[in-house]
Amino acid sequence: MSRRAALRAAGCGFGFLSLASMLAEDVQAAVDNPLAPRAPHFQPRAKRVIFLFMHGGPSSVDTFDPKERLERDHGKPLPFKRPLAFSGGPAGALMKSPWKFKASGQSGIPVSDLFPHVRECVDDMCIIRSVVGEGVDHGAALLQTFTGSSTFTRPSMGSWVLYGLGTENQNLPGFITIKPTLSHGGAKNWSSAFLPGAYQGTAIGNAGMKAEDIQGEPIEYLLNKRLSNDEQRFELDMLQNMNHRHAEMRKYDPQLEARIRTFELAFSMQAEAPAVFQVEKESEATQKLYGLDDPVTQDFGWQCLLARRLAENNVRFIQCTHSYKWDQHGELFKKHTENAAEVDKPIAGLLKDLKARGLLKDTLVVWSGEFGRTPVSQGSDGRDHNPYGYTIWMAGGGVKPGFIYGATDDIGYHAVEDRMHLHDVHATILALLGLQHDRLTYRYSGRDFRLTDVAGVVHEKMLV
Amino acid sequence: MRIKTLTVSVLVAASFAHAQSADEFFEKKIRPVLVTKCQGCHNAKLKTAGLDLSTAAGFAAGGPSGSLLGGAESRLLKVISYEFELKMPPMGKLPAEDLQNLAAWVKVGAPWPGAPKDLPVPVMAESKPREWSAEQKSFWAFQPVKAIAPPQVRNAAWVQSPVDRFILEKLEAKAMQPAAPASREALIRRATFDLTGLPPTADEVRSFLSDDSAGAFATVVDRLLASPRYGERWGRHWLDVARYADSTGNDEDHRYPYAWRYRDYVIDAFNSDLPFNQFVREQLAGDLLPSSDGGVNRRGIIATGFLSLGPKALAQQDKQKMLYDVYDEQVDVTSRAFLGVTLACARCHDHKFDPLSTKDYYAMTGVFASTKSFANSKSSGVSPMLLTPLCDDSEYRTSQTYKRWLAAKQRSINEVYDRRIDERNSELGKRLADWMVAARQVYVDGKPVERVAAREKLDVRVLRRWVDYLEAGAAGRPHLEAWANANTKTARAVAVDYQTKYLEKLAAYDKKIAEWRDRATKTEAAMKSAPGKPSVEAEEEPFFTDVTFGGPFAVADARKRENDVVNVDKDKERQRKLEEKMRREREMTVPREELLTDADRDRLRTLRAELDEMRKGAPPEPEMADAVAEGAQVEQHVFVRGDYNSPGEVAPKSVPSILTKAGSPQFGQGSGRLELAEWTARADNPLTARVFVNRVWEWHFVDGLVRTPDNFGRMGERPTHPELLDWLAAEFVQHGWSVKQLHRTIMLSSAYQMSSAVTEQASQKDPENRLLSHFTRRRLEVEEIRDGLLAADGTIDYEMGGSLQKGFGTDGENSEGRLSLNPEKLSRRTVYIPLRRANLPTLLNLFDFGDATTVNGKRVITTVAPQALFAMNSEFVVERARNLAARALENGGLDDGGRLDSIYLRTLSRPATAVEKDTALTYINHYRQKFAGKSESEAWQSFCRALLGSNEFIYVD
Repeated sequence: MSRRAALRAAGCGFGFLSLASMLAEDVQAAVDNPLAPRAPHFQPRAKRVIFLFMHGGPSSVDTFDPKERLERDHGKPLPFKRPLAFSGGPAGALMKSPWKFKASGQSGIPVSDLFPHVRECVDDMCIIRSVVGEGVDHGAALLQTFTGSSTFTRPSMGSWVLYGLGTENQNLPGFITIKPTLSHGGAKNWSSAFLPGAYQGTAIGNAGMKAEDIQGEPIEYLLNKRLSNDEQRFELDMLQNMNHRHAEMRKYDPQLEARIRTFELAFSMQAEAPAVFQVEKESEATQKLYGLDDPVTQDFGWQCLLARRLAENNVRFIQCTHSYKWDQHGELFKKHTENAAEVDKPIAGLLKDLKARGLLKDTLVVWSGEFGRTPVSQGSDGRDHNPYGYTIWMAGGGVKPGFIYGATDDIGYHAVEDRMHLHDVHATILALLGLQHDRLTYRYSGRDFRLTDVAGVVHEKMLV
Repeated sequence: MRIKTLTVSVLVAASFAHAQSADEFFEKKIRPVLVTKCQGCHNAKLKTAGLDLSTAAGFAAGGPSGSLLGGAESRLLKVISYEFELKMPPMGKLPAEDLQNLAAWVKVGAPWPGAPKDLPVPVMAESKPREWSAEQKSFWAFQPVKAIAPPQVRNAAWVQSPVDRFILEKLEAKAMQPAAPASREALIRRATFDLTGLPPTADEVRSFLSDDSAGAFATVVDRLLASPRYGERWGRHWLDVARYADSTGNDEDHRYPYAWRYRDYVIDAFNSDLPFNQFVREQLAGDLLPSSDGGVNRRGIIATGFLSLGPKALAQQDKQKMLYDVYDEQVDVTSRAFLGVTLACARCHDHKFDPLSTKDYYAMTGVFASTKSFANSKSSGVSPMLLTPLCDDSEYRTSQTYKRWLAAKQRSINEVYDRRIDERNSELGKRLADWMVAARQVYVDGKPVERVAAREKLDVRVLRRWVDYLEAGAAGRPHLEAWANANTKTARAVAVDYQTKYLEKLAAYDKKIAEWRDRATKTEAAMKSAPGKPSVEAEEEPFFTDVTFGGPFAVADARKRENDVVNVDKDKERQRKLEEKMRREREMTVPREELLTDADRDRLRTLRAELDEMRKGAPPEPEMADAVAEGAQVEQHVFVRGDYNSPGEVAPKSVPSILTKAGSPQFGQGSGRLELAEWTARADNPLTARVFVNRVWEWHFVDGLVRTPDNFGRMGERPTHPELLDWLAAEFVQHGWSVKQLHRTIMLSSAYQMSSAVTEQASQKDPENRLLSHFTRRRLEVEEIRDGLLAADGTIDYEMGGSLQKGFGTDGENSEGRLSLNPEKLSRRTVYIPLRRANLPTLLNLFDFGDATTVNGKRVITTVAPQALFAMNSEFVVERARNLAARALENGGLDDGGRLDSIYLRTLSRPATAVEKDTALTYINHYRQKFAGKSESEAWQSFCRALLGSNEFIYVD
């Protein structure tokens, strides 16, 4: 069988061919299973990613990017024409942060009082203060954060990673998104778009659901609620018996064999996967570390702890979502305080726990909103959207620990030093995973597509 | 911006003066920047954005947006400041020193060494049409369809249709044999799924198996083509191409409330065998075509849903970008769906592989830019989509008039309340300082609220609201800082201060409202819609808005409160808190009804009766469609690098020049959609018929003759049977673009009726079956899987058309309303399940439906474990198996063998063999022996589940 035919037979389409780096044995593996692990382009620094998404857009000048000038010039007008923001009204005045910043750790990196627990982990974090996106509204900004394009439907970051690397644990999906948002593009933010469907993210519930309602059946169809294991195995044997007889009469058709194997894989998946979701099996101390004992931190704590368990079980790409909270056009003080309280302890717990278990070195943790917020006020107590220069941070997985990268101008509106466009963020994440962003391509509609479109620069300076 | 630039200029004016000369300053400080950072694109040859920065003349001429100079407002300085929409250079902001130097240089008039004083301003000339190379011009897809005679073959006995000659010729050339004919059971299952997306019924199978006549299969094909199920299946194929969905997908995922009309139109077009060229015309310009009865062309308007139902970002704040993304999407769907060319690849640069220039792209963009897709695309916020009435103007105007009357009546009702509320605000405002001081006694001094209220003669409910409002302090509320800082001694004075300001604002507000009342009454009298009630900018008057609306002085609509849903939380603690919160709220609620006088109440009764009366007399809501309409003429420019901030030469409306051998349309006064439609539907268009017959071939045979159905360009595949493709295209046009005739031509061939068995020879010589030595086995598509399951147990609902999607707009963030309806809970055919584009049903995602966002002429099929989990564990499959087993067992007239036959016929479209019956009954017996307590019915259900999960069920031979 030709290589091309083999790929087609596996149902992966001929786009697979354009994965130029694919080795012969990888091709064979892909015939059997599109999710089989594949070698990266070069030595990776991270094996997996946990992406903590703060939906709504946390304010950088109130969290990780303190601005003295805002203290000094509080109430003064913006010294230049306000760039496009979400709300059409007149630009407000410069507004100082209502929170105090404290330097922490050996690195002395300042973090505001919104994140007292995360602040304890700064020596493991790489704070990127110069991220730039293109979307001024949530929809465009989410889409670009997750897919690289603010406009078109493109495969999501997790799908690209899964397509490039496959996954090492066949008993779990390779790309899992916990409680993802249904809004601002919804599933497009974890979809495989034109990549084969095998690479789409598996959603664990959605942002509208409560953790306790998700735990019953975290993955759709994963559990059989009616049959014992024996009963189901017996039934499955009948099914496979029919399938084998069917296939014997239809030779040279690998797709039939492939489907027969998926039933065995599914059977082992439903036996193994549920245990991974049993967060309640963790020790009391661990549950406390993530704040599972406190109603305020319970939900995001559950997400973070589940993320660690998934990471431990070699799930390639994991997303947690705090949705849809951070969009403070008003009530900044009240709501940012509440939001940070919900995630601060869980995130710090995750970082400490990963580190204690030796997982942080090859797990890349990313914390990001879809944009930051303006240093000028909106109304009396709000901030508008600001994609022109905002802060995200990463930890573990080969980024420089205790390090500040890039800078915004003196009021925190535009990134001015080491500007890092979202394409660059993506290129850098792929590089940490051992993938060269301009080689990870897929042929669709007559063009080779990639996560970084025609752009993307790996920011080596922030890497170990 | 201005401030910054000025400071900068002052700073560097000094350094400029110190330079030995202006020339030296230019050569040392300016030219190097221009050369290294600008001239790569902005040179005499490329003139990117119409701008040449390599010469003094070019610099002086500026770009299409005018001069680059102008002091502090200089466009050059704006663009390089990175504080303007357009940011240059694109690879990063210039270093501060360069910015300062450029600012200083611009300030003194941007002198170029040796430049003549008066520079002529060159006029942008329209560039000559692109010349394509001979190779590009001779590319197969752009050649006219050739008239071809079917070739001679050796094994003439195999030939049933001219189609077979083309297939057999290539097989014979490779010394290969076509496969034997498929079994009759396989053939009827294949044809029925193929044409209707459903399995054949037991009767249909029996009747075909017993029909020995020569035309038995032709009878089946005709029967299937006449079934309304045919349009539901083939309409769905087209909906894949038209990237159909019921919502906008991007950002807030607003519903397209009438998308279903387009879907029903497509289904009807296939069922009624609408000639394909007319189908093309209607989808691009149906609103501009005459209707059959001389009235409003409802069908034509609905058909343009093809253009209007794409993904859109209604909340995109850069409205120009929003519009051009929509036009881009329309260019993409039009060029790929009908022409198989990827014209949208030429948005930012000429197409990398095909002879399609950016000018070609913008020439078609001009057509859509002159077409209306939004009701209003100017205002900020969410841009409303265009909804078009499906009735004539006078009928629509009447209904709108009624709407305004109803609104006016409703306003009169609201006004009864609002006048009393306004009076009350003035009254309460006069004692505002008393309220504040009293509240302070409660939350600072800890005095009981009831006692303070009684002593001060204040309404305790309002006082509670004040306490609630002030108690939270000034954190994040700077307008309350003065109050929070007051102490017992100063409180009264500070409160009086607040009161004075409040009364000032209230007076201003009352004045504004009075003016509005006057205006509203007048406009209503003139039969026009009243302007919206003026609102107060909360950000400008936070204290006033807080107190007046929603805060201490707010009143509640009791009728609305009664309808509040009481949430019950499972968590006892949370439930207690919830109830506590509601109790507190009740204690603070002032119902607006208590402000009314008896006269008010009488008046309200009258007004409400009048409103009811008016509602009864109102004409029915006009039916609407999500459609496009003619818009204002736009003179479209090429946008350099796809950026609308960089307009280049004008691109007059046109079709891609490489496709104009047989003629190009003359665009007239309208949007140009009609001309584009007519040209696309022309018989001598080299692509339209070819692309469509190839799609039909692919939907029958799994692979097309061109295996990249949406891309006939250089990066697409070449046809495996180019002569057959041309012959089919010519036949198609000759038979009046009849799709049903095309099905007959294809299906009544030996090629279609071959077995799907693969020989060793075929698997060696032609593993991809490009020569079609056998029929390609295929997995069912998700609609066929779901509909097939529902048909197997007989629970499918064949009601046609209409919408299952309710409502308009979108729902709250992360609410269930954002999800698509769950297909596992419905029994209508899958094609009728509304598609929320941002959250497609997970079942559809699971089985490779695609994303309903771009043209999808070929679904990529994957085989993964979660699909097996669906077969093993989903309630949907469990229920089908239960019904299937029950039907068989409840039929008293059957023995076990007969029961198995009926189950096999319903699922696999054939009776069970003796061996299968034996195996099945053994299984059922063993199941009951092994698992004590399981009923006979449960054992049969288990067997049925296995059958529904089997490969034979999910694959078609």
